[in-house]
Amino acid sequence: MVGLPRDISPGARSRRGFFADLLIAIALAAVAILLAAGIGVVGFLALLVLLVLSVWIGLEAAVVSLMRRRRRRSVGLGPR
Amino acid sequence: MLAALACLVAAATSYVPAMRAKHNVALGVSSVEWLRHNGGNPIVSEIENWYYELNAPEKGGPALTTLPKVGVNSEGEGSKAKVYRPPNVAPLIHPALAGEGVWKKAAAKAGPQPPVLLTTFRSDPEYPQFVAGVAWIDSSRTHLAYVPGLAEPPEPLENRGSGEVPLAMRKRLVATFNGGFPLETSNAGLIYRGKVVETMVNGIATIVEYRSGRVDVVRWHQGPRAPADVWFAKQNLPPIIYEGKLNPDLSDGPEWGETVNNAIRVWRSGLGVDAHGNLIYAAANYQTVESLAKILQRAGAVRALELDINEDWTSFITYRHPGALEPSNLLPEMLRPPERYLTPTNGISSPST
Repeated sequence: MVGLPRDISPGARSRRGFFADLLIAIALAAVAILLAAGIGVVGFLALLVLLVLSVWIGLEAAVVSLMRRRRRRSVGLGPR
Repeated sequence: MLAALACLVAAATSYVPAMRAKHNVALGVSSVEWLRHNGGNPIVSEIENWYYELNAPEKGGPALTTLPKVGVNSEGEGSKAKVYRPPNVAPLIHPALAGEGVWKKAAAKAGPQPPVLLTTFRSDPEYPQFVAGVAWIDSSRTHLAYVPGLAEPPEPLENRGSGEVPLAMRKRLVATFNGGFPLETSNAGLIYRGKVVETMVNGIATIVEYRSGRVDVVRWHQGPRAPADVWFAKQNLPPIIYEGKLNPDLSDGPEWGETVNNAIRVWRSGLGVDAHGNLIYAAANYQTVESLAKILQRAGAVRALELDINEDWTSFITYRHPGALEPSNLLPEMLRPPERYLTPTNGISSPST
């Protein structure tokens, strides 16, 4: 067994995290495909989940950018 | 998110080749059929049921003043020869409209004994705008052939052909119509060219063509195998009319398949035989299983089964001239083009003279 290096760059850490997430995602997908009545159901539900998540992420990004803009504007209009 | 993406990639490995395969329906319809055939039948059916319940027609409404024109006029071709011709269909709504329930021949030069007659009538006094299209096919002058489609019945199948009415058959083609539920959703049997393609099920309504050429609609009771005298048999749900009477279970939902339930008003089609053994086909929009059975019964059917439902699958096409020329839908509202069965398609039943 070779231990993974502990002192790594932030980039490498994020790549390692992504790789772990990917493995978990593939495992989850495999379980879903095994348990579902057919690949059609899996695809249909995955599409729905992706649509909902895309809308969610989009809304979240929009709200964050709106709040940032407001904060900047309020800083700009403050007393000198 | 990643798990959903992984699932989508896996589904795409099945979906993309299915959509690239040869078919003659819109991408949306093909996608729904793909979903139905890949475990999504309950989802599709549930969504269909919601959709049709939300879009259910309302009773009443303004009365119709004309009926869609069907067939060709028969003037000047009367015959003194004694040939059987079915009685006109008695109108349900009075006063009757011009030509309502009156049989007209389907082809221009069909002679004094036309093999196919067509008519229309308003089928439900509570919904005076619904028009049913009915066809009568003379079994003594026609031969019924089942033509496999591109994907139905599914593989393996010997002698599939090209999924359209063969050129050799077109010379004497008089009509074509939809061939019933896909085997996967009907959970019933098929005998094609004397061989069992899908195991036959006792008690199910069956269109049978015997090796002698005789055609009938029966309640199957001959077990899972192909009897020696049967050339073709296709099953679809229990009979909706048997020995002249409506099936008493027409209002029982689950008996009528896994797709949209019996009481949802959609395009429906059915096939029966009259007391003389001639075929009667009927189709109309906004029908329940029960109202479809009543249409067939009024047109003279003594035994009948339900065929396909939904606008994408319901077709009855006649050809005004030999060589499958000038095809025409039984009802103008039928969605699929009259050339449907002259290009590769799904399962077909086609009587020819």
